[in-house]
Amino acid sequence: MDVPEASYCCSGCRSVAGVLESEQEEGDAANGLLRLGLAIFFTMNVMVFTMALWSQDIYPADSFTNPLAETLRSLFRWASLVFALPVLYLLGGPIARGVWQAIRSRRLTTDLMILAGVVAAYCYSLVSVLRDEGHIYFEVGAMVMVFVSIGRWLEAKGKHRTGASLDALANLLPATVRRVDDHGHISEVPREKVRTGEILRVLPGERFPVDGIITQGRATVDEQIVTGESVQVEKSACMNVYSGTLNLDGDLRIEVIAADGKETISRIVDMVRAARSVKGRHEKIADRIAAVFIPLVCVIAMVAGWRQGQIAGLDQGILTALSVVLIACPCALGMATPMAVWTALGRAAQGGLFFRSGVVMERLAGVRIACFDKTGTLTTGKPLASELHAALSADREQVLEIATLLAKGSIHSLSQAIVDYSHGQSISESDSSNTEIETWPGQGLSCDLPEFGRVVLGSRRFVEELGLSLPPELDQDSSAQQVFVGWDDCVQGVFGFCEQLRPEAALAIYECKGLGLELHLFSGDEGDRVVPLGEQVGVSTKGNMLPEDKAISLSTLKKRGLVAMVGDGLNDAPALATADVGVALGCGADVSRDAAGVCLLTDDLRRFPWAVGLARQTVRIVKQNLFWAFAYNSIGIGLAATGRLNPIWAALAMATSSILVVSNSLRLAHYSEPQSVDTAMSERNSVAVTQRPRESVNPQPELAEALL
Amino acid sequence: MIELPLILLGGLLGSAHCLGMCGPLAISLSAGAPPGANHINRQLIFGVGRIFTYTFCGAIAGFSGAWLTKRSSGFVQSQATLAIFAGTLLVLMGLVTAGVLPRPFYRLLGGLPCGASSWLKTYLSAPGWSGPLLAGLFTGFIPCGLVYAFLLKAGSTANMGQGMLTMLAFGIGTIPLMVLVGYGGQFLSLVGRAHLFRIAAWCIVVTGVISIARGAVQFSAPNETATAICPLCEPIKAEAPGS
Repeated sequence: MDVPEASYCCSGCRSVAGVLESEQEEGDAANGLLRLGLAIFFTMNVMVFTMALWSQDIYPADSFTNPLAETLRSLFRWASLVFALPVLYLLGGPIARGVWQAIRSRRLTTDLMILAGVVAAYCYSLVSVLRDEGHIYFEVGAMVMVFVSIGRWLEAKGKHRTGASLDALANLLPATVRRVDDHGHISEVPREKVRTGEILRVLPGERFPVDGIITQGRATVDEQIVTGESVQVEKSACMNVYSGTLNLDGDLRIEVIAADGKETISRIVDMVRAARSVKGRHEKIADRIAAVFIPLVCVIAMVAGWRQGQIAGLDQGILTALSVVLIACPCALGMATPMAVWTALGRAAQGGLFFRSGVVMERLAGVRIACFDKTGTLTTGKPLASELHAALSADREQVLEIATLLAKGSIHSLSQAIVDYSHGQSISESDSSNTEIETWPGQGLSCDLPEFGRVVLGSRRFVEELGLSLPPELDQDSSAQQVFVGWDDCVQGVFGFCEQLRPEAALAIYECKGLGLELHLFSGDEGDRVVPLGEQVGVSTKGNMLPEDKAISLSTLKKRGLVAMVGDGLNDAPALATADVGVALGCGADVSRDAAGVCLLTDDLRRFPWAVGLARQTVRIVKQNLFWAFAYNSIGIGLAATGRLNPIWAALAMATSSILVVSNSLRLAHYSEPQSVDTAMSERNSVAVTQRPRESVNPQPELAEALL
Repeated sequence: MIELPLILLGGLLGSAHCLGMCGPLAISLSAGAPPGANHINRQLIFGVGRIFTYTFCGAIAGFSGAWLTKRSSGFVQSQATLAIFAGTLLVLMGLVTAGVLPRPFYRLLGGLPCGASSWLKTYLSAPGWSGPLLAGLFTGFIPCGLVYAFLLKAGSTANMGQGMLTMLAFGIGTIPLMVLVGYGGQFLSLVGRAHLFRIAAWCIVVTGVISIARGAVQFSAPNETATAICPLCEPIKAEAPGS
């Protein structure tokens, strides 16, 4: 168990940190709760007897003259002793064990001091009872232990809850699987026993227990758990399936390629767990302070106790020292950062977002400049046919009809774009089934049609090589990609293409601006093709950039502040690595992509502003926690050292402070999802209307849609 | 204390009011019990746990009352004020239970036991005597208007012993109905229950009126101490306010 040594002051904190590493056994937890309950029962008894003694103190003169009252007084003192001892056994025991461990590993903990204080209070009271004179403080000792234990127990629950979303993920996997042996016999075995290469049967409605390749059958699979998108995918033989995804309707045989512990869900969970163990800047500061803090507190406690002891007697000295130690317990300080960051990491994972560590999250919160890669990031990477120019002599509809006929014969992305374009124009489609289409790889398509002779569709070079003439009205030097269609030795039409912005890109950019980010668009494409795209979304744009250029530009930007680079992680790895925070889109099941500090499961660009928002909120909460912990400790120590704070109140304050930090951090678990597109749109439009005159007219249906 | 039997009755019948809240807990004590457990015993131990908490709170209330009376003696008639305040609250609670007044916080309080029962479950289902005892102990802390009203009453005695006695009487009063509910029997017809509710409600109102009356008497004649005397409180008589 690798727990930060200095940041946990006490056995409770250390043991609850262990809860995360290994799930405590149900019986253990119940046993602890029972101990605590019994201790509370005994403490209530002690309180009643103590109050009975106090009520004599209300009228002291008489209580010492009345013989019956005198007898009762002695009786109550003994009763307090009798009821207080079990509390020491029940709650002091676990604390003592922690202290003993700490002593053996030569560490100073505040638990040691708390235990010493409590034992001192007990001893002093015991002597008072035996001598039948002097004050007794059993109620102080008992209540301090009760409050300390309640506080620790609630902390443990809180810490456990930071991992709840992860556990939910891990619990999705079925406990047993159906293994098919060489003879086709099926037997149920625990998931852990499955080895790579074995064949499993997965029935409809079941989740895949491991990563595998389909060997038999086909099915619709819901991969939301690894892609974040609720899109159902058709899967058939030889396709990969990921653990945790849902087989909706197929009876499948899969061959295991990654067994339990190495498959997708386990890797996701492991990655988040690993992210937790890296300490961020705030946590390191808190640790360093805590390391100095504990010895310092011990010194303050002893000095203050000694001084109060001189002034007001031994008992007051003990109580003062105990108060100081209790109020100064740096539990809240130690938990301030990890609690918040852990909760946020879990929340992010739920939203399909992975931070490599808490450090990355802290850095992302401070990001002022964000750079986007173009292809595959702001755009879908799929071209979009935006326009068709027909020759003066040609019939536009006919041109489109013939081009579509040819395009259907190819799965090339440009052909697909032409088909999509003609769908949008609702052109009557001619039957292409009996037409033989010839493919010229890398150049174009051609076929013979009875009415037109040979028709061709392809690049400028392709049509020129085939000897087609280009009418002057079509011979435009366009920066956009073009495809020509022609017959009769003449080019009859030309398609212009543009890149397709992601549907959510405009909204994501708008949200980024709302966060006050300075935005840049980097692209390897020619400048005059990229700049209009950048202008459409209102981002300053640079084209003609090689991967190294991107890295250099980022280094320049980094001088002005923290920079995040958002890319698809494929061709922009150097840029992702150079930026302060690299954000990779569409990692899917491949969450461990190296260059990126943040991985988005989906291609949803809006997750980026969401991540920045979450990171900022996390750091805000960390700062609140730290501020609270510091303020509370400093003021508390002042009060306690001057003997103005009863240990019972100090213990109560300590528990309250920890609970405050825990519950403040757990608020992050409810960090809201991005607004639905409709709401966000209407909000954006109300702003956009006022800015409309500045926006250029845009020819892209996707973007137009986004703006409407 | 002439009210003690009335308080007992208030608890006995008033617990019909609490069934909505503490009833489910008592039922799950039987439902979640390990096989072969003695249900009656478990219910009784559960009741003892509750009474323990009530008595404990009664002690605190009584002590606080005494402390307040001492601190403010000659300044405010705190004991009398408390008695009147508690009486008013009891009358209000009684009238609410009787259906004369609407239930103001019913919704607010209705949701509480659900949240509490998640960790109470550990105790409710634990074998042996300690589980039910602790379950009862913590159930006793569940916010309840009736308990608070009687706690104020306990505080108005300005005496720890009597505060404890008040709450003990109330607690004992709640035992029979809770045990029956927990045991799971259909013990009363709907009409019978309605009658019981009404009698209980008026019982609480009467307790409240008596409390107000005593408070009023104390205001007008502060030298008289109307409370009975237990050994612990003998000194109080000598030190009674205004003496």
